[in-house]
Amino acid sequence: MTTAVNQAMVEKYKGNFLKEVTDNVEEGSWVKMCMQCGVCSGSCPLGPHWDHPPQELFMMIRANKREEVLSSTSMWMCTSCYNCVARCPRGLPITHIMHGLAHYSKRMGMKPKHQPTEQFGQMFWDNLTKKGRVNELKLGLGLYFKDGFAEGVKVSMGKQKLGLNMMKAKRMSPMEMLGGHGVKDLSGFHAMLKKAEELEAARVGENTDAK
Amino acid sequence: MTDVVATNQTIIVVGGGISGMTAALEATETGKQVILLEKRPYLGGRVSQLYKYFPKMCHPTCGQEINQRRIKMNQNLTVLTQAEVANISGNTGDYTVSVTLTPRYVNNHCTACGECAKAATTEFDDEFNYNMGKRKGVYLPNAMAFPQHYVIDQRLIGTAEADAAKAACKYGAIDLDQQVETLDLKAGAVIFATGWKPYDANKIQPYGYDRFANVITNVEFERLMDPHGPTGGKLLRPSDGKEAKNVAFIQCAGSRDKNHLAHCSRICCMASLKQTNYVQEKFGDDGKSTIYYIDMRAIDRFDDFYQKVQDNPNVSFIKSKVAKVEEDKASGNPVLHGVDTEGYKRYANQHDLVVLATGMEPSVDFKGFPVKIMVNDEGFIEQDDSNGGIFAAGVASDALDVNRAVQHATAAALRAVQVVNQVAGA
Amino acid sequence: MKIGGYLCTGCGIGDRLDTKSLETVAVREGRIGFCKTHDFLCSQAGVDMIKADMAAEGDEKVTKAVIMACSRRAKTESFHFGATPVARVNLREGVIWIRPEGSEHDETTQEMAADYIRMGCAEAKAMQQADASGEQSKNNHIMVVGGGMTGMTAALEASKAGYYASIIEKADHLGGVMGQLKQRQPERSPYQNPQDTGVAALIAAVEADDKITVYLNSTIAKTAGAPGRFEVDIASTVGTGTHAEFGAIVQATGFTPYDANKLPEFSYGKTPNVVTQLELEALALAAGDGPIKRADGKIVENVVFVQCAGQRSQKEGHLSYCSGHCCATSIKQAMYFKDTNPEIETTVLFDDIRTPGAGGENFYRSAQDKFVTFRKGKVSTVDVKGNDLQVNFKDLILDEDAHMDADLVVLATGMLPNSGTDIDTMKDKDASGEIKVPVTSILNLNYRQGPDVPHLVNGFADSHFICFPYETRRTGIYTAGPVRRPMDAGQAQTDAMGAVMKAIQAIENSASGRAAHPRSGDLSFPTFRKEGCTQCKRCTVECPFGAIDEDEKGYPKYNEARCRRCGTCMGACPVQVISFKNYSIETVGAQLKAVDVPDEFQEKPRILVLACENDAYPALDMAAMKRNESSAFIRVIPVRCLGSTNTIWIKDALGSGYDGVVMMGCKKGADYQCHFVKGSEMAHVRMEKIGDTLSTMNLESERVAVHEVAITDIDRAPKLLDEMVEVINRVGLSPFKF
Repeated sequence: MTTAVNQAMVEKYKGNFLKEVTDNVEEGSWVKMCMQCGVCSGSCPLGPHWDHPPQELFMMIRANKREEVLSSTSMWMCTSCYNCVARCPRGLPITHIMHGLAHYSKRMGMKPKHQPTEQFGQMFWDNLTKKGRVNELKLGLGLYFKDGFAEGVKVSMGKQKLGLNMMKAKRMSPMEMLGGHGVKDLSGFHAMLKKAEELEAARVGENTDAK
Repeated sequence: MTDVVATNQTIIVVGGGISGMTAALEATETGKQVILLEKRPYLGGRVSQLYKYFPKMCHPTCGQEINQRRIKMNQNLTVLTQAEVANISGNTGDYTVSVTLTPRYVNNHCTACGECAKAATTEFDDEFNYNMGKRKGVYLPNAMAFPQHYVIDQRLIGTAEADAAKAACKYGAIDLDQQVETLDLKAGAVIFATGWKPYDANKIQPYGYDRFANVITNVEFERLMDPHGPTGGKLLRPSDGKEAKNVAFIQCAGSRDKNHLAHCSRICCMASLKQTNYVQEKFGDDGKSTIYYIDMRAIDRFDDFYQKVQDNPNVSFIKSKVAKVEEDKASGNPVLHGVDTEGYKRYANQHDLVVLATGMEPSVDFKGFPVKIMVNDEGFIEQDDSNGGIFAAGVASDALDVNRAVQHATAAALRAVQVVNQVAGA
Repeated sequence: MKIGGYLCTGCGIGDRLDTKSLETVAVREGRIGFCKTHDFLCSQAGVDMIKADMAAEGDEKVTKAVIMACSRRAKTESFHFGATPVARVNLREGVIWIRPEGSEHDETTQEMAADYIRMGCAEAKAMQQADASGEQSKNNHIMVVGGGMTGMTAALEASKAGYYASIIEKADHLGGVMGQLKQRQPERSPYQNPQDTGVAALIAAVEADDKITVYLNSTIAKTAGAPGRFEVDIASTVGTGTHAEFGAIVQATGFTPYDANKLPEFSYGKTPNVVTQLELEALALAAGDGPIKRADGKIVENVVFVQCAGQRSQKEGHLSYCSGHCCATSIKQAMYFKDTNPEIETTVLFDDIRTPGAGGENFYRSAQDKFVTFRKGKVSTVDVKGNDLQVNFKDLILDEDAHMDADLVVLATGMLPNSGTDIDTMKDKDASGEIKVPVTSILNLNYRQGPDVPHLVNGFADSHFICFPYETRRTGIYTAGPVRRPMDAGQAQTDAMGAVMKAIQAIENSASGRAAHPRSGDLSFPTFRKEGCTQCKRCTVECPFGAIDEDEKGYPKYNEARCRRCGTCMGACPVQVISFKNYSIETVGAQLKAVDVPDEFQEKPRILVLACENDAYPALDMAAMKRNESSAFIRVIPVRCLGSTNTIWIKDALGSGYDGVVMMGCKKGADYQCHFVKGSEMAHVRMEKIGDTLSTMNLESERVAVHEVAITDIDRAPKLLDEMVEVINRVGLSPFKF
């Protein structure tokens, strides 16, 4: 499905990526207002790890570098510290735009491979939607073991103390391994998620001809 | 009591900076009766605190000398200092302007001989030097001060020191009993040449103006160059008095910014380009300047000046709005962090001194003004027929450089002359 | 009728100096009527005393005064007595404040004071009351050259102030370049959308105004005269010419767009789809409310604006400067497209976006909001690809070479001023005597120095002064709008008003014989002694304001209303026949001769200091306020401008035993700071030749020094005087002491 939507979007916007971002990305309508001062790029604490900082991404969007932007790891690096938003002289909600771009790239099936933030995000979502509550233990272990068993053991041993402290503080229970707690009306919760997914698919569909 | 003659053919100019002096002089030298009001105890305004003008690198006091001589020689022009407008009522061709005069405690018997100051000891922050130095409580505000009369700081009133100053004056020029006075002046037209104030750099949190001694503003930098200034004209940085040979200029410090001033202050690019010349003037090839900018706005023939600075190997340009300034504890050097947006290059650059190119904010909030006048979102007066006989001159109308401010003030003088000529003809 | 002397003993003068003996000096040696002392001369009582003497009748009436007190810069208002000539003897800042206390100094300090009093008395004797010449006339009519937005604004504003205006327009209609535009950038908050140009309304207002006369199809064949009495021949291409008289002139002749044919790299001329901003206006006007079409009829869907095309560039044939308006103009034009159809691609390729002030920045933001795309990029070429175009550029943010397709490219080319003949290059004739640059004059002034106002840089007829933008070098003629410097319509309209203000002032001044800035209100004017004149023409050549013509017999003709009273003519005259009533070869010459030069055995040198009254003298004054010490051997005479310095003063000084001469003027050259433009430069040139005089007198050349001194040289100025003292210590006293 994602590829079809992606193809449809490419056809619809015919190289006007700025318009595509404006129409489809959360807060994407702000991208046009950037004046390339670069204060966001300089303000980001994770900046050195980005391929393309926000201001550059915005320029790339205007230069129609769709492929490069949507497959970039950059927007996945955002940790929502809001430094950029606080300092942006044009008032762009850059944090939101970054998340919006990440979400959009995932939806278009263009997310980078093995991007840890993206992987964790998916894991978190799967974990959460299963029972309507986050299972801390499973989420933590899942994260530790995402890169294979040997790596998982190594990471887990390293984080042993943290795990024990969390248990002492009653922030995590070993019993969670046995299924864990959930919301009362689990089927209702799942029905809600299903409906939301349908609505979202319909919304994206409206923007493309791929129904 | 101050005695001033004013009629509905009088033009009142509010603000005695370069724009106000120009508007007043152009009108009065055309035969009009003009009253010039100035809040400070002396004329000259902001430009009198500048070392040099761009692009000629000439001295503001040179033009000020001529203007002050023109004022001294003209019988139709009355200057009232320490005067502020309290209220305005009436209509075009028939205004009444209430003016509050705060006491100088020195009358026009003063010969500026300086004996009173010798009797004074207490020091206060020197406003003329943006509080970077001290002055006595009995003082001549600056060497060019006109009227050339001493001032007694209000905070000294009631002290023995004030009495000692009074006793030291042989000419009966000190009057410690002066009180606040209010005058109601008639006027046909009123020109607001109230100018600007530097944007409060404390509000730009990431740049650390409030935390780091070696982060100063562009107007303060001007005072360092002045032979009468706090460093006697040496480019020394505040923290340790070390020569500031490697200077960073941060453009748009408060301008073009929704969090601060939305407008472009126009002058700051040229001011920083000019100030790189100061660094050169003091240290030759040992002086290095770096300008961090968004767009270099060296408009019209000023671009020639920009090109000359670009040709100087000791000046670098980085297209970047600096993200934040930190301080290297050991050296006291400010460290600038950001991204050179031309090709995405991150930097963490140390400099001896950082100069914030702070912008221009209108110095008067016209929104709460006694009469309704058109003011834009940025706080500048807009020319509008509904303003009647009230006009803006210079930076009260928009962020302008000196040349444009004077041009604008000359035009404002014409607007006022049109009104009083109509009154005279009616 | 006598000269009154008034010696103030206040401010320490009486404590530091033997005032009794100074009184004697004034009366016996200065030979003035009397000398009264007062312990507080600037007080009301002191001033009233002087006024009473001036109001006296008959022999007792004081017609000139010598005020022996503080600097001429202090208490100026108190000691200003209308037209009565006053000599100010500077005993405070000039003597006691720069001399250390202590008995070992008392003798030289006292001598200094006595000399200054002798000098003041001599000056007063040589001065005469300056009155208007009587040849004034008032003409309330302003000639406005150019019927564009600036010119029409000037005429209407003049009328609103009660004056008459005539617009001379060479085209057959009013409107100028602005009349060719669809809209203009916004002048009012919130500055988001283009607005009506207002040209039609201006034309209607001009036509309805009975104080305004319009001459279409007209040029100026000849301008003669001076402020208050300009005589103009107006030529017409369709009818007979007219002769008219005006009081002042506003030149609003606008600009010519840069010739884009000089930009073949952008394919201008190769295809009609590369246009200039002005040509785009024509397309936009033709489109009306519909879509903008190219010359071939295709609706434009993708337009690229190339900023700074042939501007801000050192390349041969390009303009070095920025034309100021083009960023906002491209923004406005991009909106022409976006406002009719938001789907049209509009890209602005720029180096710096220059949209200053509140209006500029809002307009820029508004364009971004309308999806106008801005890319910082340097365009190298525009290629024609069939019916379309490819713009090749370097994207400076993404740091890569890039290209874009476009169906229309708009070049933001610059403005060239219509400033007429460059009278400076006119002098640059080739071997045949032909003028190299064939430009038609605009004003056709019959002035000795050339037919148009002098240009500054890049052909613009600007003023050089930051603080005095309207001080053109032709009194009563004020340029306004883009002829003066590159500018947008809003600024041009403000400029028009400023120029009209100055024109009105010139009319009022010329009617009463008053000088314009910087010697505002001065009633003196130059005259010459005809029998002495050798018709050498130095004065007509050197006058910085082109004020002096030659009459039919070859004698100089001083058009006093054009004169700014600097005295450069007086300094230039090799036979010293030019003078002002209150400032002359004699007023200065008598002062320097009045100094008591001690014989060589006393080992007290005398140094004459001629200081510009606007910069160097105030610098010395402020040095004194700081109590900076100066030599007791200097004798300072303020001059109106160093340009008024006649070499006879130097010769006289050296011949009468002075040991050195120091001249202090303003900065000269391209960035001159001289308020009389060329004065300081002329003085420097003259003094280069003084070497010959010195060598014939067998004197060392170091005895004469010329310095550029700024008003801020408070510490440096006294040091320059100390340097001369050192020179004299080294080379010895003058052998000319008798």
